[in-house]
Amino acid sequence: MRVQYDPKADSASLLDPGSKIWNGRKREVLELMGAPAGLQPSGAIRAAYADQKIGAVTSVSVSALHDGEVIAFRLEWQDPSDDASIGDNDSFPDAAALAFPVHEQAPMILMGAPGMPVNAWYWRADDGEKGRHVTAEGLGTSRLLDESLVKVRGQWKAGRRALVISRSMQVGDVPGAAQFAPGEPSRFGVAIWEGSHGERAGIKAFSGNWKDLTIDALPEKGGN
Amino acid sequence: MAERQLAMVMDLNKCIGCQTCTIACKQLWTRDEGMEYMWWNSVNTQPGRGTPKDWEKMGGGFPNKKPDPGRIPTRAEFGDAWEYNHKEVFYGGKGDKTHLQIQGQKPDWGPNWDEDQGAGEYPNSYYFYLPRICNHCTHPACLEACPRNAIEKNAENGIVTVNEDSCRGYRFCMAACPYKKIYFNQVAKVAQKCIFCFPRIEKGVANACARQCPGRVRFVGYRDDQNAPIYKLVDKWKVAIPLHPEYGTEPNVFYVPPLGPARFDEAGDLDESTPRIPTEYLESLFGPAVHDSLAILKAEMEKAREGGKSELMDLLIAYKWKDMFGGFDRDPASIEWVKAESTEG
Repeated sequence: MRVQYDPKADSASLLDPGSKIWNGRKREVLELMGAPAGLQPSGAIRAAYADQKIGAVTSVSVSALHDGEVIAFRLEWQDPSDDASIGDNDSFPDAAALAFPVHEQAPMILMGAPGMPVNAWYWRADDGEKGRHVTAEGLGTSRLLDESLVKVRGQWKAGRRALVISRSMQVGDVPGAAQFAPGEPSRFGVAIWEGSHGERAGIKAFSGNWKDLTIDALPEKGGN
Repeated sequence: MAERQLAMVMDLNKCIGCQTCTIACKQLWTRDEGMEYMWWNSVNTQPGRGTPKDWEKMGGGFPNKKPDPGRIPTRAEFGDAWEYNHKEVFYGGKGDKTHLQIQGQKPDWGPNWDEDQGAGEYPNSYYFYLPRICNHCTHPACLEACPRNAIEKNAENGIVTVNEDSCRGYRFCMAACPYKKIYFNQVAKVAQKCIFCFPRIEKGVANACARQCPGRVRFVGYRDDQNAPIYKLVDKWKVAIPLHPEYGTEPNVFYVPPLGPARFDEAGDLDESTPRIPTEYLESLFGPAVHDSLAILKAEMEKAREGGKSELMDLLIAYKWKDMFGGFDRDPASIEWVKAESTEG
């Protein structure tokens, strides 16, 4: 998947899923699969989902842009119910995340492994526009890095959810965070939790193995 | 498995259902926002549907030694927190023209809705009270179910707590706990439950529910302290037994089952041949161990009645209040308590 460079983009328009900057951009449709019940980290969860479908959302369309500083992903998927808050003990909010390998060998399906971290940029509907910057070294090990670097903005309309998740490509020395640079290849994955189906934690739909990410290089300076 | 295990014994023959334990706990631990509907300690009438409503049918635990996923109780099933017109009544200047009323939709369940209903036919109707807290299980289903290892069992005393920094509010613990003693705080977005008053325990003070009990119902202490009442009641005399042992979590709260009063026969005379509280019903709660427990209680009671010396009866009578607390008998008023700083901001 290509992350297009747009010199006219700024962080505000990048963050707005309704901004015209996103119009006409190439969208890649990723098929999502349910996280395997057998890999869930506890016996109670494995038992609960042994005969129950995991992964209510089956595909997501993704486009991505950068302005040289900020990288932004716009996700859009069919979401019949806007589960934006925790109404009762047994109701769960919609959520979505992008994941990036921090270690070359980090397995996506397990959200990393000990010593092989994965960086996730996480949005949950009941958090509003607060994104969570997370690192994990295996299922159930996600740890909050900060709640400031990842910016999110979403909209839900007529059964479709559009969401932008963005972050500065470079975030300095943050252990567990992925770093990006124009022209440098990377990899990514997407996960979506459908709140109305009780999806949370490892109960999610995700995009399978890492997808390649090609980040447009910046044009040569003074090259006209 | 913890090195040592703190435990509690509750003597159901002495519980009068006054809810002092419930209020002691509420005042101490569940007054923050999002905790309004929480009763880490509850007392319900048995037979009854309990709190949350019909909790025994919600699954969880390890029946047949395998995890049963269970389901999460809703706020309404817990009884929720009713809103009242306190402001209007207390500060509205309306005098006796108004009175306390529940606001909004009229509730059809509460945390103690079927109080004193019980079962049976007059004159042999019966009920007893069942106080419940988190069982701080030896094999805690909540801890096992959490995908984040956010539930911890203290290695030194066996107290089970939720680490709110690790908890993400996924609530698998609420589904997995077969006793349905875990609540979800919608404001803090984390699971919360009885902490066995560990900040008191750490200073040698017994749990608030135990210390405040006017009926001297609750014993506290380490399971393995052979000189203290818990060991004597659970292991030596074998009269204190866990609730629903078939759930497979090995609770560390034990109950002395209720003997109940004698039946009346058709002539209105006392009939001791069959118990008023059906033993099958008690067996459905406490398992087959209840038979021996009741038999031992009866025999020792008889011995004491005839003027004999019974260590068991002396223990259960609890002549010395402080002896109930297994050494955790320090007066909380003798301690300067420091309120923990909020972890928020």
